[in-house]
Amino acid sequence: MTENQTPVLSVRDYSLDYRVGSERLSVLKNINLTIGRGEILGLVGESGSGKSSMASAIMRYLAPNAVENAGTIHLGSTDLRSQSARQLADLRGRRISMVFQDPSTSLNPTLKLGEQLTEVLIRHQGLSRAQAWKAGEERLAHVGLKFPVEMMHRLPHEVSGGEKQRVVIATAFACNPELIIFDEPTTALDVITSRQILDLFAQLQAETGVASLYISHDLAIVARTAGRVAVLQKGEIVEEGETEPLFRAPKHPYTRALIGAVPRPERRLLKGDPPQAEPLVRVRDVSVNYGRRSLLDSLLRRDFTPVIGNRAVTLDIKPGEVLGIVGESGSGKSTLAKAMTGLNRFDGLIEFDGRPIRGLGDMDRAYRREVQIIFQHPDASLNPRQRISEILVRPLKLYGGREGVPVQRQIEEMLDRVRLPASYIDRFPHQLSGGEKQRVAIARAFLSSPRLVICDEITSALDVSVQASVIELLMDLHQQTGVAYIFITHDINLVRQIAHRIAVMYRGDLVEVVPTQAITSPDRAPYTRELVAAVTPPASLTPTA
Amino acid sequence: MTDFLRRLLMTPQGLLGSIIVVLVLFAAVTGGWFAPHDPDAMAALARYKPPGGEYLLGTDQYGRDILSRILSGARSTVTMALLATVLGTLLGAVVGTASAYLGGRWDEFIMRTIDAVMAIPSLLLALLVVSLLGAGGANALLAVAVAFMPGMARITRAVALTVRKQDYVSAAIARGEGSGYIVLREMLPNVVAPIVVELTIRVSFAVMLFATLSFLGLGAQPPAADWGLMVSEARQYLHRSPWILIWPSAIIAVTAIGFNLLGDGLRDALNPRT
Repeated sequence: MTENQTPVLSVRDYSLDYRVGSERLSVLKNINLTIGRGEILGLVGESGSGKSSMASAIMRYLAPNAVENAGTIHLGSTDLRSQSARQLADLRGRRISMVFQDPSTSLNPTLKLGEQLTEVLIRHQGLSRAQAWKAGEERLAHVGLKFPVEMMHRLPHEVSGGEKQRVVIATAFACNPELIIFDEPTTALDVITSRQILDLFAQLQAETGVASLYISHDLAIVARTAGRVAVLQKGEIVEEGETEPLFRAPKHPYTRALIGAVPRPERRLLKGDPPQAEPLVRVRDVSVNYGRRSLLDSLLRRDFTPVIGNRAVTLDIKPGEVLGIVGESGSGKSTLAKAMTGLNRFDGLIEFDGRPIRGLGDMDRAYRREVQIIFQHPDASLNPRQRISEILVRPLKLYGGREGVPVQRQIEEMLDRVRLPASYIDRFPHQLSGGEKQRVAIARAFLSSPRLVICDEITSALDVSVQASVIELLMDLHQQTGVAYIFITHDINLVRQIAHRIAVMYRGDLVEVVPTQAITSPDRAPYTRELVAAVTPPASLTPTA
Repeated sequence: MTDFLRRLLMTPQGLLGSIIVVLVLFAAVTGGWFAPHDPDAMAALARYKPPGGEYLLGTDQYGRDILSRILSGARSTVTMALLATVLGTLLGAVVGTASAYLGGRWDEFIMRTIDAVMAIPSLLLALLVVSLLGAGGANALLAVAVAFMPGMARITRAVALTVRKQDYVSAAIARGEGSGYIVLREMLPNVVAPIVVELTIRVSFAVMLFATLSFLGLGAQPPAADWGLMVSEARQYLHRSPWILIWPSAIIAVTAIGFNLLGDGLRDALNPRT
């Protein structure tokens, strides 16, 4: 720290509970934090660790059922807890500001970007509308937007996610605040965009010397951005220190486990070589278009341009192979998965084990049994009104399970294989944790003894440590059953651990399919190289013994 | 379940609505058991009695005890209203969910048809059905159910559309489940909460719609002790003895308000987050 006077933010012995019914749920316990001028403190923790509650407590924007203890929160020499609502409104935006996770929900969809940016300037700096508009244009140019004058007049839906987040960041920096809280600012963005946002953040941070609290669950990103890191577990800071030494030699077992769970491309989890056999599935020129021509359009002979989901995708999957598909959101990864499972109409041909499938009508019961899909959000893919037993009995009822074994036995055995206790059979999904729910979804897919399982971003809604255990389970099942996987993800580090080959997709096109070892080679397609370069390598997290 | 009941009874409208509805349902179930007199017994010497004395709420133009008639009338009026609403809701819910599930042209076709039906006022539609099928209790029930169906279908479809996008429905389609299973087992249970709320509120409309039909002479027929019919018959004696008219009107109003309040309470209790 360059200056020794009072830190910008200091939190002392702060605890926070939530009142839920008649019980009290403790979210933060005895938190002590300080951030000096120009410093970036990374706050790392899994979901439910209290990261976001900490941000709300500092912003003084707590839920009505929050109960605080006597601890203090100071911004400079101002005691934030004793401020009136009016004083706080004056503080927010001027002295503290915040950047949220999802720019598409933190911007008002009905206001122009310029109006949202100038509002802060007019309110806190007393500028006139015209002055603020001019200042706003400068600020947008400063955050690297190419056409700031035009950008001021656009509505949020007219610009991309990365541009929106730049506007949010410009707004946060607008009044030169003392402290900015970043709550997972890149989680909702694509790999390449989030890399650009991180670079912008580093640049602005260096220029303005603002103190930042950077909240994230992504250890690799925190290791790259923050000078100091605090690790939060179940509302307690278990370890805090300078980033490098902390990640090199973590002391607390929780930190060690967390770092150990981060996917490392060098550490292959997939054993064995890619199988040499005739392909199980041949996807030939499969195209998916969204939208349909309305009756009126065809009557009036108006032109109709459908939205393209996939453009003539061709690829093969061999029996027992693990094929990773990577790409940004909107690149058509999930669209392909949906076409292969009969959730989307498609043009082209899918050949499964020699049987040609040209449309939804050709997908008979046998095909549906052999090709299973697991979705991203286990909360959404398990019907909340059905018990686990009903969820798991469906594949057995539809396709018939093993002969002569009672249905109950088969379900219990499957629960055991996905490492869940048999007693879960009578539970409802909401009584299970996220990782457990995803295990139930995996069990449902495997109960039909499939030959191809499509995993659509199945770990991206899970915490790192849970993700690691789910991946381990998938790899075990792969070993046991010899099933082929299509593993769709945006996490390139993860896919490099588990895939035989990786397919790269960009805006509906298949860019290339390459063996995993060759993904970093310099003679890859330009887009692939850009994508791989944008990934934050976990190399900064040196493995520990 | 107990947690749900506690939340329901915590809100003033939920508490008041529950009390009224329980009382009304109690009257409907026990019917005339607690009635002090035979609801159909005429007494030539006790016509047009004001409330008080032997006849707690007074007597009507034939000297029949109004309290007894209201108590025994609860059975037909409330049961009919409940049955008609449940029938209309069930039909509407299935149509709405199926429409949301099918989507595309089918959805368009079903919903535009429903829009056309909704353009006819529900009383007029009920009148149409009754005049086609003939006056009488069962036909009135059917008329009210038909009149309620389009509105329920529309509400259900709105909720079902969000359920349709959930992955568990996609998962069921990908498994190759039949349409019937998906609509009835996967989707319908998840749209039930808003439907229940709407159902309770609609019961109050049904009570009034039945009363109106009876009032117009198209529902229950005399000498049945039906609330709407009682109002209709009392109209002629309004100046001689207003009580004959006031009591059944008041009880219709209270029942309608009771179900309405219960509906409001349920809405809050079923969505604890809002």
